[in-house]
Amino acid sequence: MILCVLFTNRAGNVLLERFHGLPAEERLHWRSFLVKLTAENLKTARDDEVFVASHKSVFIVYTVIGDICIFAVGKEVYDELALMEVLNAVTSSVKEVCRKDPSERLFLEKYGKVCLCLDEIISQGALEHTDKDRIRRLTRLKPLAE
Amino acid sequence: MASLPPALKKDDDIDDDSEYSPFYGIEKSAVLQEARCFNDRELDARRCAQVITKLLYLINQGETFTKNEATEVFFATTKLFQSRDIGLRRMVYIMIKEISPSSDEVIIVTSSLMKDMNSKTDLYRANAIRVLCRITDGGLLGQIERYLKQAVVDKNPVVSSAALVSGIHLLQSNPEIVKRWSNEVQEAVQSKAPLVQFHGLALLHQIRQNDRLALSKLVSGLTRGTVRSPLAQCLLIRYTSQVISESGPNSQTGDRPFYDFLESCLRHKTDMVIFEAARAITELSGVTARELTPAITVLQLFLSSSKPVLRFAAVRTLNKVAQTHPLAVANCNVDMESLISDQNRSIATLAITTLLKTGNESSVDRLMKQITNFMSDIADEFKIVVVEAIRSLCLKFPQKYRALMNFLSNILREEGGFDYKKSIVDSILILIREIPDAKESGLSHLCEFIEDCEFTYLSTQILHLLGNEGPKTADPSKYIRYVYNRVILENATVRASAVSALARFGAVVEGLRPRILILLRRCLYDNDDEVRDRATLYLSLLSDELEAAQDEAKAFLFQDLDVPLENLEKSLQSYEPTDRAFDLAAVPRDVKAHQQVEKKAPTGKEKKAAKDASQKAAEGKASNTFEAYEKLLNSIPQFAGFGKLFKSSTPVELTEAETEYAVNVVKHVYPGHIVFQFNCTNTIAEQLLENVNIVMDLVEGEDFTQAASKPLASMPCGVPGQVFVAFEKPEGACSLGRFSNTMRFYVKEVDPSTGDADDTGYEDEYQLEDLEITAPDYILKEGVSNFRNAWESLDSESERVDEYSLGARENLQDAVQAVTTILGMQICEATDVVPNNARSHTCLLAGRFLGDTQVLVRLSVGIDSQKQVAMKLAVRAEDIAVSDIIHDIINS
Repeated sequence: MILCVLFTNRAGNVLLERFHGLPAEERLHWRSFLVKLTAENLKTARDDEVFVASHKSVFIVYTVIGDICIFAVGKEVYDELALMEVLNAVTSSVKEVCRKDPSERLFLEKYGKVCLCLDEIISQGALEHTDKDRIRRLTRLKPLAE
Repeated sequence: MASLPPALKKDDDIDDDSEYSPFYGIEKSAVLQEARCFNDRELDARRCAQVITKLLYLINQGETFTKNEATEVFFATTKLFQSRDIGLRRMVYIMIKEISPSSDEVIIVTSSLMKDMNSKTDLYRANAIRVLCRITDGGLLGQIERYLKQAVVDKNPVVSSAALVSGIHLLQSNPEIVKRWSNEVQEAVQSKAPLVQFHGLALLHQIRQNDRLALSKLVSGLTRGTVRSPLAQCLLIRYTSQVISESGPNSQTGDRPFYDFLESCLRHKTDMVIFEAARAITELSGVTARELTPAITVLQLFLSSSKPVLRFAAVRTLNKVAQTHPLAVANCNVDMESLISDQNRSIATLAITTLLKTGNESSVDRLMKQITNFMSDIADEFKIVVVEAIRSLCLKFPQKYRALMNFLSNILREEGGFDYKKSIVDSILILIREIPDAKESGLSHLCEFIEDCEFTYLSTQILHLLGNEGPKTADPSKYIRYVYNRVILENATVRASAVSALARFGAVVEGLRPRILILLRRCLYDNDDEVRDRATLYLSLLSDELEAAQDEAKAFLFQDLDVPLENLEKSLQSYEPTDRAFDLAAVPRDVKAHQQVEKKAPTGKEKKAAKDASQKAAEGKASNTFEAYEKLLNSIPQFAGFGKLFKSSTPVELTEAETEYAVNVVKHVYPGHIVFQFNCTNTIAEQLLENVNIVMDLVEGEDFTQAASKPLASMPCGVPGQVFVAFEKPEGACSLGRFSNTMRFYVKEVDPSTGDADDTGYEDEYQLEDLEITAPDYILKEGVSNFRNAWESLDSESERVDEYSLGARENLQDAVQAVTTILGMQICEATDVVPNNARSHTCLLAGRFLGDTQVLVRLSVGIDSQKQVAMKLAVRAEDIAVSDIIHDIINS
């Protein structure tokens, strides 16, 4: 199960979050835990640098592109390597939507499109699509290229 | 959704950048107002899409809608189906999923979605399927099932994936419907589209997960064919290892089925697949060194990968392997040492803890030096992991306790949070308990620590320990200062603990008693009443000079309440002050007494919890399990007079896996009795079993007579319960025997939909496998800190030596493993691991035989060029008869 995908700015403010199969009262805990856990590493992180951690039986991979930090949290089948697939799909789609490494403002301007991408990538905690070109076409309801 | 804390909420963050945010100053009421444009006769698609984006933003920021607001937004959104704008349509799909309308509202949107589901446009179909499956209930699902089945085999991979992924979710709520798609899903697994294959395989596995044969067929079919998607290949590897673990080795060739497949995956072109295969191999039960080698080699390569995720995955897996096969991982030590300086602290911590597991005695000091530098720049969570690793290292190499104990005491003095400090204190407590030599230095370190400890919980715990252990040391007086300092400097809780600790010194050490009495008298003026009360009580106890009175004082101070504190608390809370004094004997001894409320139909969650709990009990540390068993047995009046529990075996399965009733048994050995604890689980949802009893008949052996039994009143499906049967045997004797077992019970039919049981039922019985009492049941695993010293200290007259031929074996490791498993004794100094290609090896074993008799074994094995293994077994014991028994075990 992919438990959570979270977008924050570099200061740790949440921009967009999607939780799956986590009770509401645990989400707050997860959000602050992620921000706290990673603050130190993200301060000096380069673009596209990937970080990984595990906490109890849960895996966390995260990265930063432009002003935006992206976290993916999963358990069971979604271990660090499977989450990497998720994270790659998310980052490549976000870059595609924003056309470059996004600033915070650009990200918020493209908010709706990012939501659509996430909807295509993750369906209720399961990975559905990974290819950025396909995802882009799907969010526009354009038929797939043959 | 929980609302955001102010510090994290974007809107509160008024910096320059947010002025540019399109959502700056956004308010729910205004957006809801805007959403009325959905009702316009002429829809402005662009504007509507923007409003939906704002609604999504609000939802994602933790904003909640009231029932009325949600209904209004939902109805308005359904109007947007009239628009032909495809961008807007895509937004409508996501919006409906986000609002998740209530079941009575769903009907409004189903006809529009059904229309889209039959649309010629593939992507309308895909999205409509996803939305419908998300919001629909079982009734409607029946109506659309036909379309969903078609969609599974749709030629457009997006439609097929949508149906398959929806199927995975629906399987939780409507399994009977999704299970009917089996043929279509099977077809999807053969799809050329990689992700369809991935989703198909995941769904097919879930549909068939309870059918071992079908699963085995699925795996053997796919391992021979081609799997295109690396993700699907990873799933296949997981399912393969599941099949392997259930099937066991091939009885004719001794080969492990599918191992070749796993091994071939190590040469796959995708890292993910390689890693998955390597991990699957390392997790095979009873994996041999030969099987492990290729997996370890690829993991070693990953250790120096440029990708942090691969390094992490590799070191995490090696860390696990190191617990069971330290020598196999030792080859990677050089790569692992370079990871100590890895930027990613998670990787560095895992590397350190792995090295601690694989290191030998000589490398301990060097490692400790490296760790000391490392500790200062990692977070508490990681430090705790390191502390736990050091604790196990110290238990493995007790001679190194000085260096390790010093390390623990040094880090105890540094800054750190409660959990971190607690883990250090716990480690020192365990070392004090397990390594007698370490006791005095450990106590001194703890004394230093409480001089400047900010955590009341830890101070009281340590004071309690000082009170128990301090008086037994060579120089008890040196602890008094530390304890009394607490009375002067600390808060009331700690002061009260200190007073109790002082009193214990006074009770045990006669020479100190006058001085303790002076100190206690000073406590009479404390400004906390608990401290004063304790001081008064202990003073009156200790002031009496008569020997009998002193014995009584000692008994009082050191007595164990023998009641679970949780139960005591509950009883005290429910006690109403009356003429009748509170009766400690009336407090239930059974730990689970308050939880065992009869449940008719446990929910899935409860079943899982019960399963988890029993699993945890099985996996938990041996000592904890033993204590838990002891508590459980002591709470049963029938067994109260059996004396001290000597040993509890690991659970022995008495049923095959996947049968109607799952039963295993734990053998509890007492000096004159054996109690059999049958853990029974009923797996039939349609049955409630009552009055469950186990009838045991002695088939071989004659020393046993049945003494007591405790049947189980009720056993609903999925909730494990226990039946106990006790047998008497000659006191202290190593009596052997074999029992046949039958489970007898009263069955009542249960309606699975309501969980109600019929009023009447019928009697039935179920044959279980036979159970043996063997000599190893009377041997307790108990290590010694220095084998050579222990061996020398036992009388050489008690030594019994004999030689055996073990026949042809694959290698010495196999031979050692076989013999150590039969004897069931503690392996000392990690001698169970045979170096690769060794021609001879000595393994050291220690244990304690029933009747408190220490027994030590030197097991020397050698292998010749024809792979014939010879063994020399030397046994020394405190009782020569026990030495003979060990040889009898091998002979039998």
